[in-house]
Amino acid sequence: MSHHSFAMFEAKKEVTVSGTVKDFQWTNPHSWLQLTVPAGGGKPEAEYSIELGSPNTISRQGWRKTTFKPGDRVTVTIHPMRDGSPGGAFVSAKDAGGKELPAQ
Amino acid sequence: MFGKTLLAVAACVLVASPALALPDWSGVWSLVGGTLYDRATAEPKDARAGDPGAREHPPYTPAYEAKYRENIARVAADRFPDPISTCGIPVGFPRVMQVVDGYEFVVTPKQTWILTENGPNVVRIYTDGRKHLANDLIWATYTGDSVGHWEGETLVFTTIGLRGENGTIVDRTGAIISDQAHGTTRLHKREDGMMEAVITIEDPVALTRPWTVTKLYEKLKGDVRVMDYACAENNRNPVDASTGKTLTLGSDGKPIDLDTAKPK
Repeated sequence: MSHHSFAMFEAKKEVTVSGTVKDFQWTNPHSWLQLTVPAGGGKPEAEYSIELGSPNTISRQGWRKTTFKPGDRVTVTIHPMRDGSPGGAFVSAKDAGGKELPAQ
Repeated sequence: MFGKTLLAVAACVLVASPALALPDWSGVWSLVGGTLYDRATAEPKDARAGDPGAREHPPYTPAYEAKYRENIARVAADRFPDPISTCGIPVGFPRVMQVVDGYEFVVTPKQTWILTENGPNVVRIYTDGRKHLANDLIWATYTGDSVGHWEGETLVFTTIGLRGENGTIVDRTGAIISDQAHGTTRLHKREDGMMEAVITIEDPVALTRPWTVTKLYEKLKGDVRVMDYACAENNRNPVDASTGKTLTLGSDGKPIDLDTAKPK
């Protein structure tokens, strides 16, 4: 998998989505959060692919392979995909209790 | 006053005790033998990795023997892209222990580094007492996570966290291991001056028993310096992404059809 530029995201826009964690891929060169977001606001249910940094980078910010677990209900803020597809670049996340992740 | 000086000298001697003396592995070294990983079980005996049909005999489970045979067929068809031919990707463990070109074994009190000219590649072995990365932290990499300790002048290190099926290539015959592989390597300089690495891989998914291979390195003489190795520079063997086939480019930059090319 080749490494890409950030041009695919709308860097100046932020969108917040809530959903259920389907999978958290703890891999190089980017970790990926797969989030099932229920239908709402005229949009159908969708699986969002949310890109985080490499484990090298984010583990030093407190992230772990287990920070997101399948079934967790989370609220995630992202820079959305420019082309409108469900996904984006990770900005921040809160757990079901409203606490900022990762828990420090 | 003299008594205090004597105490100070004694304290210095104690601090510089043999327990902290590390071996001299200086120089640039070169792998002895080819890059077929388990030469003791090579078939045919003088097979070179990359020769069509060349293989070794790891103690594979039936499932991994089947995967190996598929890879052997891919190699024969030039359809086995690997870290060497795709460029810029670490060759990974254990393959990093058997690349061509120069090796440096750099010993420091808290880490030992195996630096390969080819690649380049770095194996960092932490000897400061730290343990392997915990399960909720470790992520799969080509080179893995290595920690070790000294037994006299032998460095014993373990390696975990490999990519396995998703990227670990043991050699160009197509040999693979799983992401559950656990390496134990004993590295030391022999009496005859050769560096020796005894590498044991245990893999509950891919192997039916431990698989041990020994690699030897000889010291290069004269003014040897390690320079860049740039796989992508003038690379005549790119992989065609659409077909997965490794091409051979002629001097004009166009692919040669090896099946029909005739010797001049």
